[in-house]
Amino acid sequence: MAMSGFEGFEKRLELHFFGDDPVMMDNNLGLRLLDFESLEQVLNAVQCTVVSAVANQYFDAYVLSESSLFVYPTKIIIKTCGTTQLLKSIRPLIHYACNLGLTLCSCRYTRGSFIFPKAQPFPHTSFKEEVLYLEDTLPTNLCYRKASVMPSKITTHSWHVFTASDQSHIIPNDHDIYTIEVCMTELDRALARKFFLPPGDGSRSGDIAGKEMTKVTGISDINPRAMICDFAFDPCGYSMNGIHNDRYSTIHVTPEDGFSYASYECVGSIFDDDIEHFIGSLRKAVQVFRPATLSVSTTCASHEVWPRVAHALEPLGLKCRSCAADEFPAAGSIVFQTFTARRK
Amino acid sequence: MAGEDGQVIGCHTVEAWKEQLERGNESKKLMVIDFAASWCGPCRVIAPFLAELAKEFPHVTFLKLDVDELKSVAEEWAVEAMPTFLFLKEGKLVDKVVGAKKEKLRQTIAMHATAAA
Repeated sequence: MAMSGFEGFEKRLELHFFGDDPVMMDNNLGLRLLDFESLEQVLNAVQCTVVSAVANQYFDAYVLSESSLFVYPTKIIIKTCGTTQLLKSIRPLIHYACNLGLTLCSCRYTRGSFIFPKAQPFPHTSFKEEVLYLEDTLPTNLCYRKASVMPSKITTHSWHVFTASDQSHIIPNDHDIYTIEVCMTELDRALARKFFLPPGDGSRSGDIAGKEMTKVTGISDINPRAMICDFAFDPCGYSMNGIHNDRYSTIHVTPEDGFSYASYECVGSIFDDDIEHFIGSLRKAVQVFRPATLSVSTTCASHEVWPRVAHALEPLGLKCRSCAADEFPAAGSIVFQTFTARRK
Repeated sequence: MAGEDGQVIGCHTVEAWKEQLERGNESKKLMVIDFAASWCGPCRVIAPFLAELAKEFPHVTFLKLDVDELKSVAEEWAVEAMPTFLFLKEGKLVDKVVGAKKEKLRQTIAMHATAAA
């Protein structure tokens, strides 16, 4: 294990808003009306810049210098890696949302365990510090709050959760939506090498190199229906967002040996009758990296999704080592499972 | 039209669009059409870069269409995600870039602009 290196493990923040001004809500665009200057201010607070982006009728998706941003009319999701101070985006976001007639009604903050925890800046120096910062920053109308570290038998993979909700949103409005957050470590070396820019003068970071990586690694096959925005970093590293209708998927890769990491996140609905597609996509995503260890967090109002995760992964030679479940305001149930490759 | 070189021209009516198409057909210039929406964040991100490209490639015609204003045109060209950049030469589609992808955009313009009038 390296002494220091780039932190692949992300911090993820999901904020939900509601608007009670009928005039403002008429156009149904909500947060998407945030002008670019305001967005830049928020991202500056988090020290990220936009490297690629795409939108459709449902939402805007941005690939950032250190991860991803998704802006829906009443929901915003930011996922950042490295040493970004993600929680600092909350205050400016609440401020800009207020100008649009929107009020924060729930917050969800999740992350795995940092590979290099000592390299993290305030308030990410510890989960305790993060919780204190959140408690301090979130408005009082978010009166139901819960913080927990979900354990596993694998010390490098545990799951930190903080959620907060106001009175009306303890049970999420979009209760049919589930989110899967997969964290993979000890990636197969040969596969990880595909996320290094090829040597030579012609090779530069950017969306063109990103598109090549998407094809070469098989990431384009995970969800052929999705519109992809991808980016390759110099000398290595990769990020992508896939969008399809109102759903997103996102992959981020830190391929260096010693601290290799990859994440895969996607959303679905329990009403989707295409469950085979979900299982297939999860399998394909994991097969791109063949990690020795991985963890999966499933967030859903109901309990029908998480059993399918083990079902999807066990045929790949991955053995479920632990399973922890808990209920959180605004999120519903969060089930945290860890897997290791049987060959070890 | 010397005054239009180096600028992104906004088309707000179907008539204006048809006029630009005809002009493009006659001049044989490469036309880059940016399909955007006022509510599309990524479109706002790439707008300044597109303006720079317009200055860098003065012999290319840059048009901007709002998908709400010109719904029929957007549907005709099957625009779903945004921004969508269509590349037309003599009325024919020669390439397409979907998303605010700076490098890809510049590379595609450079590639098709070489045979400029």
